[in-house]
Amino acid sequence: MLEIRDLKKNYGKYQVLNGLDMTVPDGSLFGFVGPNGAGKTTTLKIMVGLLAADGGTVSYDGFSFQEEGWERHVGYVPDFFGVYDNLKVWEYMEFFASCYGLEGLKARKRCSALLEQIGLEDKEEFYVDGLSKGMKQRLCLARALIHDPEVLILDEPMAGLDPRTRFDFRETLKDLSDQGKTIVLSSHVLSELSELCTDVGIIDQGRMALTGSIRDILSQVNSSNPIVITLFGGGTDVALSILKSHPSVHTITVKGREIVVRFSGDEQEEAVLLQRLVDAGLLVSGFTREKGSLESLFMQITDRDEERTVLRYENESGL
Amino acid sequence: MPLIITVFNSILAIVALLNMYSNVLQVRLTADIQYSSFLDLYRFVAGIEFIMLLLIMPATTAGSISGERERQTLDLMLTTGIKSWEIVAGMLGAAFVKIFLLVVSSFPMIALVFVYGGITGRDVLLMLTCYVVSALFAGCLGICCSSLFKRSTAATVAAYTCLAVIVAGTFAANSFAYSLARMNWSQMGYTVGMMGEQAVNSGGFLYTLLLNPAAAFLVILEGPQTAGSSGILGMYGSRNGGFILNHWMVCSVAAQLLASALLALLAVKMVRKRGIGRNV
Repeated sequence: MLEIRDLKKNYGKYQVLNGLDMTVPDGSLFGFVGPNGAGKTTTLKIMVGLLAADGGTVSYDGFSFQEEGWERHVGYVPDFFGVYDNLKVWEYMEFFASCYGLEGLKARKRCSALLEQIGLEDKEEFYVDGLSKGMKQRLCLARALIHDPEVLILDEPMAGLDPRTRFDFRETLKDLSDQGKTIVLSSHVLSELSELCTDVGIIDQGRMALTGSIRDILSQVNSSNPIVITLFGGGTDVALSILKSHPSVHTITVKGREIVVRFSGDEQEEAVLLQRLVDAGLLVSGFTREKGSLESLFMQITDRDEERTVLRYENESGL
Repeated sequence: MPLIITVFNSILAIVALLNMYSNVLQVRLTADIQYSSFLDLYRFVAGIEFIMLLLIMPATTAGSISGERERQTLDLMLTTGIKSWEIVAGMLGAAFVKIFLLVVSSFPMIALVFVYGGITGRDVLLMLTCYVVSALFAGCLGICCSSLFKRSTAATVAAYTCLAVIVAGTFAANSFAYSLARMNWSQMGYTVGMMGEQAVNSGGFLYTLLLNPAAAFLVILEGPQTAGSSGILGMYGSRNGGFILNHWMVCSVAAQLLASALLALLAVKMVRKRGIGRNV
């Protein structure tokens, strides 16, 4: 199990990580998400030993990140792809194999097996610089696997890939997860993560805002999702005055004919609210609670302007 | 690399052939054979080679670590089991091997002087030692700057500036100190004649030349010194000798090797740092 406890990191006076805690179960595919500047890349870099933490620990099955040989447990795919000039695919692989002490026939066999696994076996003689972005990303994954690490850390691995390559990459990650690798990946494509990952962690302002199994989280999210009310034939002003007076309504957003209401009441309260709208003579053609998604959850957690939404709406609408 | 070797040796060959041509021309015109002018051929070729080594080595190493940072390959290497000192040693070794190949490839050109005689195998060996130590020093300076700066351009500029300060700066400092000493003697009422000239010197500044590869090279080229009373060291005043002056080459080599070790150590410490300069 990969565990991060009370991880802290400052860049000068700016505190990036403020006591981050995270647990990644063995063999899981862990999606690590957060807004820009939340500390994702910093966390991942500390995990692979590229940055020194100012406090806290990272460990895998009791083996600390500060111990000699930590890098043998971890493979890293960064959000960029650095290449050497005039280096062929097999030379690139064998160079990194030698960095892990793999030499000769053993290295060549391992490299060939990995290139075959990621579907680049026919590109061995190609120059790395000439590969497409998708191929480079797969090659980078193969490089990260060269020493057969238990934990694989990927920073935005699918950014800039076309849908087909993304799909292939996802499948490769699933295969690796099935083989027992613990995979941590950060991404901004939340819909993709919710399809791919078994677990998720949302980081915000240097702390873990939410973490757990994606199935459990999404089931909880449904109940906290906004209600979308669709009116037929106008009456938005009347509906707004009713909604604003309701104690369980937190925010209201008007999108054309739709009114999106963040409502904390239970099913019975929802029914009462609908009844009040209908009693006021409004033609309500839609009244549904949005289905839970990782994206909506992410927006909910990272939205710090929430409390001001009603006021903002009032100002804009002139009510 | 083959191109560099070709250009390097071509320059040396042109210099050597022009020198030989000028000697032959002199013999034809004056019918006077000056064997010392054939020795100038050795000095000339060796000097050109030394200058080229001193210019090539920092350029080779100054872009090594910063180049890895620019290409974003350093992070990939640092996440492997490879240690910082292995990265520095590997890069320094690669640059050093290239330079050594250049030196070895120029042996036939240097050997031209054996046709005329006057240079012993020991002299050539000493010169080779000087090349190796100077190249190592310049290389370590380059790799240190490379680890300190994020960008190769900044690292290269810094490396050449430091080298210029060490080579030209130490000569300038000695000249300045010697001039000041002579002025002081003058003001104290002594006549700046032979007495004054012999009594003053640049003081402790002379020992800054221990780090100067060019000073070591010139000392070798001039042959054994008489305790700094003549030659390049004698330019900055007369001295009574002493261990360092009597063993100038050994001390200079030791000082340069020590400085190289310190620079390499600093480079190792800085590899994992983010480097000075703008993000690339």
